[in-house]
Amino acid sequence: MTVRNIASICNMGTNASALEKDIGPEQFPINEHYFGLVNFGNTCYCNSVLQALYFCRPFRENVLAYKAQQKKKENLLTCLADLFHSIATQKKKVGVIPPKKFISRLRKENDLFDNYMQQDAHEFLNYLLNTIADILQEEKKQEKQNGKLKNGNMNEPAENSKPELTWVHEIFQGTLTNETRCLNCETVSSKDEDFLDLSVDVEQNTSITHCLRDFSNTETLCSEQKYYCETCCSKQEAQKRMRVKKLPMILALHLKRFKYMEQLHRYTKLSYRVVFPLELRLFNTSSDAVNLDRMYDLVAVVVHCGSGPNRGHYITIVKSHGFWLLFDDDIVEKIDAQAIEEFYGLTSDISKNSESGYILFYQSRE
Amino acid sequence: MATEGGGKEMNEIKTQFTTREGLYKLLPHSEYSRPNRVPFNSQGSNPVRVSFVNLNDQSGNGDRLCFNVGRELYFYIYKGVRKAADLSKPIDKRIYKGTQPTCHDFNHLTATAESVSLLVGFSAGQVQLIDPIKKETSKLFNEEGRDSATGKAECRPACQSHVVSLCLPHQTLPLPTCHIMRTYLRAPALPDVWCWYITPSDVWREWTVSSSYALQIERLIDKSRVTCVKWVPGSESLFLVAHSSGSMYLYNVEHTCGTTAPHYQLLKQGESFAVHTCKSKSTRNPLLKWTVGEGALNEFAFSPDGKFLACVSQDGFLRVFNFDSVELHGTMKSYFGGLLCVCWSPDGKYIVTGGEDDLVTVWSFLDCRVIARGHGHKSWVSVVAFDPYTTSVEESDPMEFSGSDEDFQDLLHFGRDRANSTQSRLSKRNSTDSRPVSVTYRFGSVGQDTQLCLWDLTEDILFPHQPLSRARTHTNVMNATSPPAGSNGNSVTTPGDSGPPPLPRSNSLPHSAVSNAGSKSSVMDGAIASGVSKFATLSLHDRKERHHEKDHKRNHSMGHISSKSSDKLNLVTKAKTDPAKTLGTSLCPRMEDVPLLEPLICKKIAHERLTVLVFLEDCLVTACQEGFICTWARPGKVVSFNP
Repeated sequence: MTVRNIASICNMGTNASALEKDIGPEQFPINEHYFGLVNFGNTCYCNSVLQALYFCRPFRENVLAYKAQQKKKENLLTCLADLFHSIATQKKKVGVIPPKKFISRLRKENDLFDNYMQQDAHEFLNYLLNTIADILQEEKKQEKQNGKLKNGNMNEPAENSKPELTWVHEIFQGTLTNETRCLNCETVSSKDEDFLDLSVDVEQNTSITHCLRDFSNTETLCSEQKYYCETCCSKQEAQKRMRVKKLPMILALHLKRFKYMEQLHRYTKLSYRVVFPLELRLFNTSSDAVNLDRMYDLVAVVVHCGSGPNRGHYITIVKSHGFWLLFDDDIVEKIDAQAIEEFYGLTSDISKNSESGYILFYQSRE
Repeated sequence: MATEGGGKEMNEIKTQFTTREGLYKLLPHSEYSRPNRVPFNSQGSNPVRVSFVNLNDQSGNGDRLCFNVGRELYFYIYKGVRKAADLSKPIDKRIYKGTQPTCHDFNHLTATAESVSLLVGFSAGQVQLIDPIKKETSKLFNEEGRDSATGKAECRPACQSHVVSLCLPHQTLPLPTCHIMRTYLRAPALPDVWCWYITPSDVWREWTVSSSYALQIERLIDKSRVTCVKWVPGSESLFLVAHSSGSMYLYNVEHTCGTTAPHYQLLKQGESFAVHTCKSKSTRNPLLKWTVGEGALNEFAFSPDGKFLACVSQDGFLRVFNFDSVELHGTMKSYFGGLLCVCWSPDGKYIVTGGEDDLVTVWSFLDCRVIARGHGHKSWVSVVAFDPYTTSVEESDPMEFSGSDEDFQDLLHFGRDRANSTQSRLSKRNSTDSRPVSVTYRFGSVGQDTQLCLWDLTEDILFPHQPLSRARTHTNVMNATSPPAGSNGNSVTTPGDSGPPPLPRSNSLPHSAVSNAGSKSSVMDGAIASGVSKFATLSLHDRKERHHEKDHKRNHSMGHISSKSSDKLNLVTKAKTDPAKTLGTSLCPRMEDVPLLEPLICKKIAHERLTVLVFLEDCLVTACQEGFICTWARPGKVVSFNP
């Protein structure tokens, strides 16, 4: 990282054209723009996630389509749409853009981000997706009410109980099925839960595949954690497992690299080496899953560099038109697919300081 | 679930483990590494690999071992289980600058006590032919510059930014002792070119070269990392080199590489592969260029008879070619992700791959289909290898089975599965009855999860329906425990010794005529025939051992396979190679459509990623990314450490 930063300082002006040269005029994809984002003081958590989302094609397309709709009152989504639109309509193919409006809107809307501290990229992703979904849901509700008012159709029962699905849900939402088997009466109860991303525990020298298997491993609920069985009408020991029932279009996987250490009273980083393949299928699906053998392709990785959640740096690598790019705030570089290896993490437990994959974005092939 | 069940004890590093044939034990004194025994900081470097060779000398100490660690390459006497390793005196040691050794292979045909031919592939694309006994560098491939082994061609940096190589073979330079190989100097700024120079007494020397001659180094054939280099079986001069570019090149040590970029002419094109010849007035390297699939070609392996070539690529495909006719024999797709390693069963009937789906996959060469997958690793599988010494044929016998292996604590948790497979075996035996067939192939795998897994491939997996004629075919091929000609990296055997095969002492010999007739594919006849001659040595001691073994049961779970799914399998037709739509076809059956093996053992044996697994006659050898090469004595082979 340091080497890259030093290099970037020296190359501030020439970086953009160097990227263009690196890709080559003939290879440069038509209608594609690679723009770095200016850092407004520890906003790399935001820049890295925005870049990753920009290269999740279905997400980008929907944001741009939203921009095309008629003018709306400013909210976080309109700011995002403006930013994406301004990247997508640049004359130049490469360059740097300040996401100023988006950042100030974000700081206005959420106290958590209203400072110059380093934030958690995953928390920001979560906040952003949920906020967008809320905005869209609210708009749909408004539209419906407006429609009803126009039609004078007021006597229909309110359908507010079930919020409508938005394109954020269509892209990121999957379903987990949580099966619990009471060890006393053997009754299996299952409950479905929706998710926009999966947070998985990490282990040293494993693969993301293994972490996902582990995520779905059977766990026994006993002693303190006993389960209230409806059939037995009492607390019982039970076995629980969580499997994926509906696979999302884009599978966002959050590696839980920040672990609270009781003795230290602070979070520490698990720099474990967790390898992630460019292609992925899930093993931890429930038998009734509809699209259980979806093939996923890795499209973006948000990488955390450094030793803890509140220090360090975030960068993003994305796949675009068959090659890989590294976005480090205002710097954009083409990288070799082989260089992804550097972001798996460290095999040595001594060093906490690493550049390691933190959020993986896998896009379904179909 | 052998791998799960976590707990602290799973994270301990094992120094021994037990299988049905007995106790395998790590020999701490037989550990090879760099002389200082310091763990190598492995972040971001090439995998450590190990090559073995036997020098065919009379002493009985002819085994030699070569391994690469970082930018270093070592050549030692390998004493195996017999004696402690002496690390203070490597026979040869080389340090490279600007490029790292990635893989190597000995020529077993030409190896003698005075000379061995070792090919070394490098991260920047070059291939070197060296003789670590004579301490010579004979040839350099894919690095064009001046190649004058006799002349006096000195070079210097032409300017600051240009790197230049130096060739200086002559005796006039004051070298400490014996003649030193060629030395390459480079400007420190560019990693393109490399230099090394080391004297037998381990003294680094800088060359100061006055110059009259400037050369630019170019790799005209392929600039990408060498991923795999191997001598063509049975040849003293041909070798094959695979690169991360996805191309393979056939070289002849006798030819030069030319001073211009090669012009290629299409020889053969097929689905996702093309073979070109090099167009040139005079014969030059490369003889052939193979372009295979998309992305890096991670490993290739010749079949035991040398006729077929199995390649695994980053695009997730296994492709098996007829090497001479350059025709595609069959393909397979990983469940997902790249395939990283490949090996052949000693009789050439099965291929096992390992990859980024954390699985091992068993593929039938004759049927061109996946017959089983194995799950045990927690991360990517980096090496797979068959154990030719434990692969066996058992005679059928009455169904008594003892609980003797219950004594082995390590196996206790397999109890349930074992009972299951016993049942299935029992019922099958009752129906097919009294044939002397019980083929068990043993293979192993190591991975980035630092675990070693051993797997048994048994007849209930191999022949779910037990058709009579086919089972016979298989009977005689694996009738003994001696190793095949070393294409599995198992090089202590002596394939050069191709005299008349020793008289088979196996009792199954009378069947062999029948067996070949029953063979499905004519191309395999040769393989089977040679297989019979090669495997037909069986010592009495081994047989006795195996009579004990057969009582022990196998550990893969058969729960997943219903008769329904096996029927479905046979109906699956051969599919087109459309990577997006391979699932559910014979190229890539669904998980529930093929048996899922569980490992016989699955042990964490290192701190670092494992990169080597070799089965030798009295031991198995593993190595990890830190540069430690470990020897595990087979049951009964521990001499000094046995209680």
